[in-house]
Amino acid sequence: MIAQFEVLAPKTIQEALQLISGNPRAKILAGGTDVITGFHQGSSRFIDTTTLIDINHIPEMHAITETDSHIVIGAGTPFTHIVENPGVIKYFPLLAESCSVIGSLQIRNRATIGGNFINNAPCADSVPALLVYEAKIRIQSAISDREMPLADFLVKPYKTQLKPDEIVTEVILTKFDDGYKGNFYKLGRRRGVAISRLTIAVFGKVENDIITDIRIASGAVTPIGMRIAELEQKLIGKPANDDSLKEAAIELGKIILEKTGIRWSAPYKLPVMQQVCYQQLHTLVFGKE
Amino acid sequence: MKKHIKFLLNGREMACEVEQNKRLLDFLREDLQLTGTKEGCSVGECGACTIIVDKLAVNSCLMLAVQVDGAEVMTVEGLMENGELSKMQQQFIDKGAIQCGFCTPGMMMSAYALIMHNPDPSVEEIKTAIAGNLCRCTGYKQIIEAVSCSCGK
Repeated sequence: MIAQFEVLAPKTIQEALQLISGNPRAKILAGGTDVITGFHQGSSRFIDTTTLIDINHIPEMHAITETDSHIVIGAGTPFTHIVENPGVIKYFPLLAESCSVIGSLQIRNRATIGGNFINNAPCADSVPALLVYEAKIRIQSAISDREMPLADFLVKPYKTQLKPDEIVTEVILTKFDDGYKGNFYKLGRRRGVAISRLTIAVFGKVENDIITDIRIASGAVTPIGMRIAELEQKLIGKPANDDSLKEAAIELGKIILEKTGIRWSAPYKLPVMQQVCYQQLHTLVFGKE
Repeated sequence: MKKHIKFLLNGREMACEVEQNKRLLDFLREDLQLTGTKEGCSVGECGACTIIVDKLAVNSCLMLAVQVDGAEVMTVEGLMENGELSKMQQQFIDKGAIQCGFCTPGMMMSAYALIMHNPDPSVEEIKTAIAGNLCRCTGYKQIIEAVSCSCGK
């Protein structure tokens, strides 16, 4: 039996913010796929929680709105809605793709994008795509309203900048001009319903055979989903040829080792990571074979 | 602490008092005695507890009972048509898609949710829909065949 708690179901964001304000023993219940198992297993993360604020009845929290320049996804939007949204598929295909391989259909029907990065597990599959798209998030409390890049919000595994009285309400994606292309790759122990062992998202632009912009983000092999800025800097301005890409893939191996130290899985993961990175960059530059 | 909820269960209007910390799975099995829905892993990986809420397949171990307030819920007990096995249930028997039977209710609910949205799914679509349902003895081939044949193929 799960410990006692009460469940509140506000109908508006303002109401939710009032409820969480000054109540450090309250937590947000979105998809519940981490929270309810956490309670059921007696996780120490929920020992002090006496109130759950269920945000599923707040329409703005699971709305996807599109303008000429942006797509704004309510932080409580389940993955199934994101995967099926025509705007997301068209403008942010890596996000649609990465969300489509999260868990099972049952999980995707409940689990939310906000929950994925607020939980901030190393293997959060939507994070690398959000990072290469330089997603911003909107964080509200009863007395504040701020925006910040998702990259700054994610601090370390299972830790973010979210304060106890705050709710992440929106994920804000800015549309890109033409010429940008990208790829996402997930490796798990099996194809379906797997916890990621390695994810990588690459996104960039090639003009006149020169790599003019590149963004590379990894998940699962790094402590949290993160951009590999050192590698991006080395690639920008390089000729878009096989040598540059191979060099980058080898370099990535060194960078990951520096970030994580040598683990028992390194002899397997590193060459795989390098090969996957090379393949993804190759597809980005030369198209699918 | 109990809360009053109203919802539609297998087409029947329900009004119940339920503990707020009770999972939907436990509420169905213990309070409503609907034991067709099974508990496997309890962490959303095996799919044995799959039911349909508002026309979507969900793991009932990952929801609280209070969360179905106002919702439309379907469990495996709702598959029966006019007191007889539905076409899909009969196909599971005919195609040998049942061995121990533990995964069967969840498997059928995932398949039923698929067919609600897509009456003529491909084998790939069936595989995606049941990817979150583990079977450890029957084998997926017969299950996919049963689902496929219950769509009139």
